Amino acid sequence: MTAVAPGSTIVWLTLAAMGLPFAAFLAIFFVTRPRLLPSLVISLACSAFSLAVAWWLLIHLRGIDAPLMFQALWMHGGQASIGFGFLLDPLSLVMLAIVTSISFLVQVYSLGYMAGDPGMAKYYSFLSLFAWSMIGLVVASNLMQLYIFWELVGLSSYLLIGFWHQKFSASQAGKKAFVMTRLGDLGFFLGIIVLLLNLGDLSILGLNSQAAAKLSPALLTASAVLVFCGVVGKSAQFPLLTWLPDAMEGPTPVSALLHSATMVAAGVYLVSRLYPMYAASADALAIMLAIGTVTMLLASTMAMVARDIKQVWAYSTVSQLGFMLMGLGAGSYFAGVFHLTTHAAFKALLFLCSGVFIHHFGTNDFFDMSRQGARHLRIPMVCITIAGAALAGVFPLAGFFSKEAVMGSLAELDQGIWLWAGLLGALLTAYYTFRLLFVMWRPLQPLQDKQSNPGHDDHQHSGHSSFGYGVMSAALIVLAGFTIALGFLGDKLIAFLHWQRPPQIPHHTWLLVTAILVVLVGIALAWWEFGRRGAAQEGFLRRFPALETLFARRWYLDDLYRRLTDYVVYGVFSRLCTLNDRRVVDGAIDGVCRGTVGAGWLLSFLQSGLLQYNLFAMVLVIALVGIYFLLL
Amino acid sequence: MDSLHTYLFVALLLFCIGLFGLLQRRSLIGMLISVELMLNAASINFLAFNRFLGPDPAVGQIMVLFIMGIAAAEAAIALSLILALYRRLRSIDIEKARELRG
Amino acid sequence: MSPAIAQYIRPEVVAYAAFGFTLVLVFGGALLAVLPKNIIHNVFGLATSLVGVAGLFIFLGSEFLAMMEILIYIGAICIAIVFAIMLSQPMHLQIPKRYRPKLIFSFVVATSLFISFHGIVTRTEWEPALVRGGDWEVARLGRLLLTRYELLFELVSLVLLVAIMGSIITAAALGGDKNPTGDEET
Repeated sequence: MTAVAPGSTIVWLTLAAMGLPFAAFLAIFFVTRPRLLPSLVISLACSAFSLAVAWWLLIHLRGIDAPLMFQALWMHGGQASIGFGFLLDPLSLVMLAIVTSISFLVQVYSLGYMAGDPGMAKYYSFLSLFAWSMIGLVVASNLMQLYIFWELVGLSSYLLIGFWHQKFSASQAGKKAFVMTRLGDLGFFLGIIVLLLNLGDLSILGLNSQAAAKLSPALLTASAVLVFCGVVGKSAQFPLLTWLPDAMEGPTPVSALLHSATMVAAGVYLVSRLYPMYAASADALAIMLAIGTVTMLLASTMAMVARDIKQVWAYSTVSQLGFMLMGLGAGSYFAGVFHLTTHAAFKALLFLCSGVFIHHFGTNDFFDMSRQGARHLRIPMVCITIAGAALAGVFPLAGFFSKEAVMGSLAELDQGIWLWAGLLGALLTAYYTFRLLFVMWRPLQPLQDKQSNPGHDDHQHSGHSSFGYGVMSAALIVLAGFTIALGFLGDKLIAFLHWQRPPQIPHHTWLLVTAILVVLVGIALAWWEFGRRGAAQEGFLRRFPALETLFARRWYLDDLYRRLTDYVVYGVFSRLCTLNDRRVVDGAIDGVCRGTVGAGWLLSFLQSGLLQYNLFAMVLVIALVGIYFLLL
Repeated sequence: MDSLHTYLFVALLLFCIGLFGLLQRRSLIGMLISVELMLNAASINFLAFNRFLGPDPAVGQIMVLFIMGIAAAEAAIALSLILALYRRLRSIDIEKARELRG
Repeated sequence: MSPAIAQYIRPEVVAYAAFGFTLVLVFGGALLAVLPKNIIHNVFGLATSLVGVAGLFIFLGSEFLAMMEILIYIGAICIAIVFAIMLSQPMHLQIPKRYRPKLIFSFVVATSLFISFHGIVTRTEWEPALVRGGDWEVARLGRLLLTRYELLFELVSLVLLVAIMGSIITAAALGGDKNPTGDEET
């Protein structure tokens, strides 16, 4: 580990990249909110600066052989100390580049998307807040610092999901997201405490190097699993996955930035950060693998019946995150990180393309969109096809290579069931992606009159300005370029991540063939049902209404949570707390009151006005004093 | 008869009987009578000390004399107060005099 | 008187019998003074008790005070009380009812006081004065009253005077009628 000299350029630049978005947030939120143009300029400038610094660091530091760390001591007590600073190693440099790139592209895109919205300056302030939080999370050198920024990211998510807070469902969704991720964060914090108590050191480098050696296996697994709880919450894994589809209430650029590419990937990023610790505990990896698999399959089934375009991509995000965790759980650090990178590119692209359609047609339902002539918007259509193909894993796009990496790691496991699950997941992914694409390409009834549908993603926009359209298209094209190019950078990435000493990844030809076949089968199924001329555009699930309902109702998870909240939280805990409040706390105070009144009532007999009672008291006291001194 | 303790005991017992009457009687005149008993008990006390402990026998007797004088004065005032109270309350029951009740 | 009985009638026996009789008078009278409800009985009991107290005064060496006791207490105070009872008929005709808890409570209080003071009295070591005078003459008493304790004597007289005046005023003023012009009858 190399500690960086405090005054060097790298330190200043990184701190500036960390701090400028925060300054932008403060400036916009408190100062320039009434005026749009200064807010936009500030936000975009700071975002661009962070982007430039991230890329500069990536290029400048691509040859380092040890992590660079700059840390200031924040607090210490006893043998534990917590620092604050940044840690630059290949993983954080790559992630920093991803985060700043997508953040900048989304900010540019939002110029067109959110044009005309009255709260646009506030929106940009929140985007800057998010950028600051995410950058802080990515370069955090200490687990406590990471946790703080983790929570800040959750806060930004809440603010941005509920951005159109006049809409009740949006504010509900923001609340749901916050509470669910908070549940996971509870486990995370417990894990931090366990680590702090047992190791005394929360720095990431320290954890990675010492945890395996100093902690007992049970403790190591326990803390790893607890920290993983935070991942389950933040990356919307089973069972805390239902907040992410609801989070689509936010504006589409927000969905692109937070809920596909960066924030939800923070969970996967955390696991990657602490990978040496996780790799030392086989049980933790097994749990990760199991949860990832379950999530991937569950979410894919949910995507198969969704009609809302953003919901499809939301379920897809959940599913792909599960897939990333499968890769990490199977033991391959590179597979998980590679898929994270490529997924960020094509999923953001998918969302932004969908955003263009939503903005244009005013509806989220892609069946309606296609009937209204979606396929005539060329740039979004091309980009969404590229991105969808990447998601499904079509050669030569980025998704193909990263999926192959994950499948390869799954094939290395002893039990074949994980590989079968992965292949099934690939099939389902291809199916639901191309279902959407074919519906968009081949509308059922061609070209109806454009109806203005109320409801989804409603916001005022000042018509279809060409500037907005142009700016959105520019973002799309850049991301499409990444989607195409990233796949071929796999070798460079693995070398970079592993300090230029990449492990040998076995390539199985049979696996390659099987994966391609599976994808083709999925596409064919989708084409049969949705794409060919004369198709009914109804999925095969329509024939199994029970299954369809199961998938559509998210496997009744939300209903379960509702029941749990109503019966357990409200029924038991709330009632206990209310009882405590009324009987114990209020009762105590009332009891004091009643006691005082009662004592007063008793003492009032002294004031009876009867002479003889006063004499009683007087003589009795004298007598008692006398007896007391007698007994002494 | 020959020890101080006898007379002190007698005085004390008389005092307590007077106290009992004072605390318990509802009639004001009854209370006055009890007070007279208590004063006499005090007088017995003084004379007992005078007889067995005191340096000058005349001093104790003068003391008792003064007690008697004061007792007389007090009885006169008490009786007139009883009259006054009776005119106000129409009764000599002390439990009717409760205007200072708080 | 036969010699057999005569040998029992020794001075100490007579003395103790007389003392006992005095005590009977004192306590019997006291009990008569506090227990019955009839106020005449109470006054009578008071008088009896005071006679007994006078007897005790004799045993304590002061015949003068015994006479004074009978003169002042019985002759003046008891008579005053009887007069008060007699002259204000309606007053004593209302016999208030006894309240049982109050009875018990006052008994308890009196008893506790008795116990505490008795304990104090018996545990104190009473020391006689070093020099004790021996002159019990009444003449000396009178001389001291008029010379050494003159001030006290005069003050007590003054107190008596003021008390009597006050009682007259209190008794009279409240019963006096006012003239139409507002003057009080004196």
